Amino acid sequence: MRSDNDMRAWVQTTTGIVVVLLLVQFLTGVLLAFYYVPSVDHAYTTVSYIEKVVSSGSWIRSLHHYGSQWLTIFVFIHVIRLFLDSAYVANRIQWIAAILVLGLVMTAGGTGYSLPWDARAFFSTRVAEGLMGGLPFAGPMARLWLLGGSEISGLTLSRFFALHVLVIPALIGAVVMWRMFRSRIAELFGPRDAIVGTLMFLALALWALKNPAPLGPSVAEAGADYLPRPGAQFLWLYQSLKYIPGGLGSVVGVVLPGIVLAVLVALPWLKRQRLIAGSLLGLGVVLVVIMTTASYLSDHRDPRTAQQFARQAAAEEAWRRQPFNPATITLAATTTNATGGAPVMYTKFCANCHGTQGQGAQQGPLKFPPLLDVFAKPRRSVDDIVGLLKDPAAYGLQPPMRSFSDKLTEEQMREIAEWIVKLKK
Amino acid sequence: MNMDTSRRSFLKFLPLAAVFASIGSAAFRFLRPKLSAATDAWLDVASVSELTGPQPISRKIVAEQITGWAITTDEHNVFVLPAKNNQVVSAICPHEGCEVAWEQNRNRFSCPCHESYFAADGSRISGPAQRGLDALPARVQDGKLQVQYISNEQATRA
Repeated sequence: MRSDNDMRAWVQTTTGIVVVLLLVQFLTGVLLAFYYVPSVDHAYTTVSYIEKVVSSGSWIRSLHHYGSQWLTIFVFIHVIRLFLDSAYVANRIQWIAAILVLGLVMTAGGTGYSLPWDARAFFSTRVAEGLMGGLPFAGPMARLWLLGGSEISGLTLSRFFALHVLVIPALIGAVVMWRMFRSRIAELFGPRDAIVGTLMFLALALWALKNPAPLGPSVAEAGADYLPRPGAQFLWLYQSLKYIPGGLGSVVGVVLPGIVLAVLVALPWLKRQRLIAGSLLGLGVVLVVIMTTASYLSDHRDPRTAQQFARQAAAEEAWRRQPFNPATITLAATTTNATGGAPVMYTKFCANCHGTQGQGAQQGPLKFPPLLDVFAKPRRSVDDIVGLLKDPAAYGLQPPMRSFSDKLTEEQMREIAEWIVKLKK
Repeated sequence: MNMDTSRRSFLKFLPLAAVFASIGSAAFRFLRPKLSAATDAWLDVASVSELTGPQPISRKIVAEQITGWAITTDEHNVFVLPAKNNQVVSAICPHEGCEVAWEQNRNRFSCPCHESYFAADGSRISGPAQRGLDALPARVQDGKLQVQYISNEQATRA
């Protein structure tokens, strides 16, 4: 009998896990905000900076990234546990709070994916746009309100940022407070919760140490063959959208989950509670498990998809080994030093490898040639250098020297070339 | 609840304290300020041939600094003193860091913030500033006057 009660008490620690994971999300989120800048020209740079330069930055970001996935899963498990305990009768507030937290945590995850403004973020923002736009009746309006305009832009990023770091955390905080003040703290979070919560944190901490949070290529650098995938908590939705024609996606992705959450919130006042909640949660579990498995299988069975993921993983690994590439911010009225400083575009695109003053550089095994006295060499006139910036191969240069046709205008190339030919040892 | 059980229940929460200690120590490293790398680049001020006359000449230099995730290009005001063998002084007041202006009719530099005054050679005349305007390391290269930029904070430390 006693061990049976003991067992029950341990099962009830799903509360403790959710509380600890929520705290981890709040703390790591606050820390990330100390470096992150929500603007389209600096978001990716600041996230790269957190990953590559800031001490413990990769770990903190990984805790936040995977923590959000674990949190969603454990809130879901928590809801199922409350259902099995018939909490919607015994403790209405506990039940409603858990359902609300589930919805809010999903929304937090959805808005969070956009913030690094990498290729994954780009696609996830597009999907959010499509889901909103496809809503019956209110679709076009919902889309405009979500994006802050008619296109995805800096306004969209600011909106997702404000929702993710201000609105949703405040709502989660309010729900948790409401839940707490209606019960004794000891009831909510006992020593058992502390133990299980700590174990869960240890597992997440080790996981985050081993697995840095993914960061795709920047939107500008992503190739057409880039394959985005959402985080684990959204794989079911991602896979479902493959089977659903066009506008119906919004119904499955937004309307149905919204109705299910609303019904579950209202459950304490409904009849046939066990049947309604049981079938909704049961269907939910079945859908999530089947769709997540299907998405895993379809990605692993197709060799071409698997190869592309391997390429992406290799590219991300290579990116991690490269030194951090700072953004250039010009606060001066004049863009170049009055009598011969490096052009701003040189500093932005060339200086990382060729040195701020053209002195060359070495990064690991790679040696980048100095540009001093380059004018004395054959085929290095201003026109030649402009041509070389467009098509390095035509001038006999090997990668990693690349074409800058997509990054620089003719005028900017000329400005760089005219500066380079003046460099002397 | 007597002392003993309350101490025991407190101990049961110790593992949780370890969680926050580990995040806390990471947070300390995470938030530790980054000192920006001092640049020792020589920045062009002007051609030597332009620098004539008894008056200080106001010039802007553009200095690049790596601060955290950005390379910032800042403009700084300096004064060339042709009367003092082309010495270059920073326009930053050594008192609280406002920028001094040259008052031609009164032949002095004045600080707009707290009324510090400096002579045409940069030396202190009066006011709360404790020293004259800071001279910047200068050299002449290929007929151009060049300086290394030193911030007020660096000059005060030195």
